[in-house]
Amino acid sequence: MKKNKPVRCLLLILLLGLPILLTGCWDSVELNRRAIVSGVAIDRGEGETEKYVLSFQVIVADEISGQNARGISPVALYTGKGRTMFEALANASRQTARFLSLAHVRVLVVSEKLAREGIKDMMDVLERESDTRLTSLVFVAKDQPARDILSTMTVFSKIPANDLVEKLDTTSKQFGYNYRLEVDDVIRGIQLRGGGPVINGVTIDGNREGADTNDNMKTIAPRAVIRVTELAAFKDDRLKGWLTGDAALGTALLHNKIKGYPAVIRHPHEGYITFDVYQSQVELSVEGSDPEHPVFIVKIIQQAAVKESPNSLNLTSPKTLENLSQTLIEDTVQKMRTAVEAAKKYNSDYIGFGQLMERSNPRGWKKVKDHWEEIFAHCEYRIDADAVIRHTDMRNNSFQVNP
Amino acid sequence: MNSRRQTLRSKSKEQGLPGSETGTPGLTGSLDEDIRNIRIALGGSPDLKVRKIQAGKEYPLQAAAVHISGLADATAVNEFVIGSLLSDPSGQQPDDTGSPEPFPAWLIQRVLELGSAEVTVEWNDLLLAVLSGDTAVLADGYLSAVICDTRGGEARSVEESSSQMVVRGPKDGFVESVATNISLIRRRIKSPKLRLEYTKIGTETQTHVAMLYMKEIAGEDLVDEARRRLNKISIDEVLESGFIEELIQDKTFTPFPTIYNSERPDVAAGNLLEGRVVIIVDGTPFVLILPAVFTQFFQSAEDYSQRFDIAILMRIVRYVSFIVLLLGPSVYIALTTYHYEMIPTTLLINLLSQRETVPFPAFVEALLMEGAFEILREAGVRMPRVIGQTVSVVGALILGSAVVEAGIITPIMVIVIALTGIASFAIPAYNMAIAGRIIRFAFLLLGAMFGFYGITLGLILLVAHMNSLRSFGIPYLSPFVPLSVKGQKDTILRLPLWLMGRGKTAAQLREEQPEYKRVTTGHEAGLAPLIRDNAAAGRSEEKVEFHEEE
Repeated sequence: MKKNKPVRCLLLILLLGLPILLTGCWDSVELNRRAIVSGVAIDRGEGETEKYVLSFQVIVADEISGQNARGISPVALYTGKGRTMFEALANASRQTARFLSLAHVRVLVVSEKLAREGIKDMMDVLERESDTRLTSLVFVAKDQPARDILSTMTVFSKIPANDLVEKLDTTSKQFGYNYRLEVDDVIRGIQLRGGGPVINGVTIDGNREGADTNDNMKTIAPRAVIRVTELAAFKDDRLKGWLTGDAALGTALLHNKIKGYPAVIRHPHEGYITFDVYQSQVELSVEGSDPEHPVFIVKIIQQAAVKESPNSLNLTSPKTLENLSQTLIEDTVQKMRTAVEAAKKYNSDYIGFGQLMERSNPRGWKKVKDHWEEIFAHCEYRIDADAVIRHTDMRNNSFQVNP
Repeated sequence: MNSRRQTLRSKSKEQGLPGSETGTPGLTGSLDEDIRNIRIALGGSPDLKVRKIQAGKEYPLQAAAVHISGLADATAVNEFVIGSLLSDPSGQQPDDTGSPEPFPAWLIQRVLELGSAEVTVEWNDLLLAVLSGDTAVLADGYLSAVICDTRGGEARSVEESSSQMVVRGPKDGFVESVATNISLIRRRIKSPKLRLEYTKIGTETQTHVAMLYMKEIAGEDLVDEARRRLNKISIDEVLESGFIEELIQDKTFTPFPTIYNSERPDVAAGNLLEGRVVIIVDGTPFVLILPAVFTQFFQSAEDYSQRFDIAILMRIVRYVSFIVLLLGPSVYIALTTYHYEMIPTTLLINLLSQRETVPFPAFVEALLMEGAFEILREAGVRMPRVIGQTVSVVGALILGSAVVEAGIITPIMVIVIALTGIASFAIPAYNMAIAGRIIRFAFLLLGAMFGFYGITLGLILLVAHMNSLRSFGIPYLSPFVPLSVKGQKDTILRLPLWLMGRGKTAAQLREEQPEYKRVTTGHEAGLAPLIRDNAAAGRSEEKVEFHEEE
């Protein structure tokens, strides 16, 4: 017995240890076998067999931070075609030397053509696949093939996809007409009864010729520039139209996604005055006891500062500021009203009124959800806005007051 | 010095002595024959010095002082043994019957100017005493000898400990002499509660092993258990306290040390006052402290010299560096080969471009660097101090930068390995650091084969293993497992001294925490039986085999 003990121990160790080796290295992939994809463009190909044309913007790491850069493009675009998304992805491996790794995809660009046809089929793989993230940003390429967006050289980031992400982040903070819309938001939007998602638009300004080479940045004004543009309004999973101006800003406000934007109002006597709205808080509620005739209440509280007032208004007087904030309130109400009317025009409840209804009156919602489009088209809504002008920045009155 | 004769159990009687055959002659009563026997027993060793003298004026008697030069303190032998024998200030008195009083009694009572002297009739005791540096005085016609304590000889003086440095704190360190070491502790604890027990371990080396504890503070059962385990040891040689540690620890097959060792008297004294047992082995400056729990290996003597908040920060740094040591390379490999999605994009691009030209997989890369680092460290430790500098320059600077420039290893891997290497030095206890170094390789393998999944499994196994450890019956992870809120005062935290309630004994702590008690005892009878059962089931069997092989 005693002599057997070490033998037994050894056997036990072997029994436990060897199976570990049998499994091999699971799904281990060395980093230099990976091609990190930064952005994916999804275009509509010809016919059913090539329905999806996927273009992968792959990072060439050596060109970005390596010491042995060859002076080639910092990203490379590879394309695969297929009947489904995954087939197209696998198909692209004929062009790529390494495994296309989708975990760092930051941008998904869908062409307008495909968006008008419907995007719900392609969203499934994005949600199912373990590598892709639900936090990737989704864009619709306006009037252009999505592929073009990802094959434009950019100045500030060597990786165009990152450039686009940063542009969106910057503009949603400064200009306010766009906000982050991720794969997750899009899928939720598609699921909205009688509604759909809104997706940021993206387009290329300028001359496409040579946009995919370094020549694009050789001039002071880059020949082609990626630009975040209007919001695309969807009904179910189909693009219905583009929201511009007040409609876009109002939509962003209704989703409570932006805090600040520059508000320009026209004073009856003194010309344009610009406010920097730096705080907006929106609350939606519904009086839905009668599900057939709900009344939606939009409550918005804003804080703003006077940024531009090139006139002879006496800004030291509280009364003037009171009046100015009144005009700001009117402006805000106008924007929101335009946004809701636009949604009604597209007959798409992308604002989420239906969802609100469902949450406040679930029983009522069951009765109306089958004909929600009709109710939404004629529903009443009320906008309660309030705005405070907190300060006038570095000056009180403009120098124009006492010339 | 009297305490030196106070032995746990006289082992020499049972085990016999070097050179003495079975059926030893014993003292014959004839001086010449006894001296000849001693010479034969020690193989005619030239350093055995025999000084024959005629002692006593009234009743002259042939006597001989026997000692080994070098082991015995020459001054003591010359002045206090031979000198006092020859000067004979007080003559031998006749007793009631008129015959002269016995020679040994006379020597001890009225002649020898020494702190310690005693009579022995045992041949083995006599030999052992001479081999320990004592001087034996034999007289013609007597069947007993007087052992005079003249131990001495050259020894290293007390210096700063080189293995456990502090910025602030006492600078003295233990030396190789057990007597000096005990004195260093006694100087710090002038309490009659400090108890000292001696034993000799090692059939050939007959090494002095001293066990110290504070009576009433240290648990009775703990002291009994330590004593019992020490007595059970049967081994030829004890050259270092590591020999003892290996023979009395609870579990052999674990990388974790379950007995603490220290070169610092203040640490030993502090632990004594906390109710632990200190074992000092002659011939090494490293004393054993038991029982030891995991958190103890992350404490430094300096924690109590510095402000408590700073001490807490330093301790957190040590725990973090232990985690870095364990998981640094494996997490890096798991991240890059399995979980690249967890790396921030910009960092990933950086890593990608670094890996572009490297020929090896990350795992091989890590193994190479870890191997190189271990070689460097081993070379650095064993090298003479003068050349040690060269090793660090060649290793760290030249090898490190050249390997990156040659494109064999990625710079980030060098960073990871270097960080891991430095982290291993941040752990105050060297034996805990090397435990971490070994386990790190297991994690490296797991990380390379299964990614974070493997590392998580490994961590679960590691914690389970650590939970299974006991140090003299105390759970290794206490006071975390079993959790005791009161016990947290001196773990990762080091509360201010007035809050810590110092002086609480292990026994008192056990009383305070019912769950603690439940785990450690298992019997109503208390702590000791469980440990005995464990020990009996494990080590004692092996002992028997050992003897049979002999």
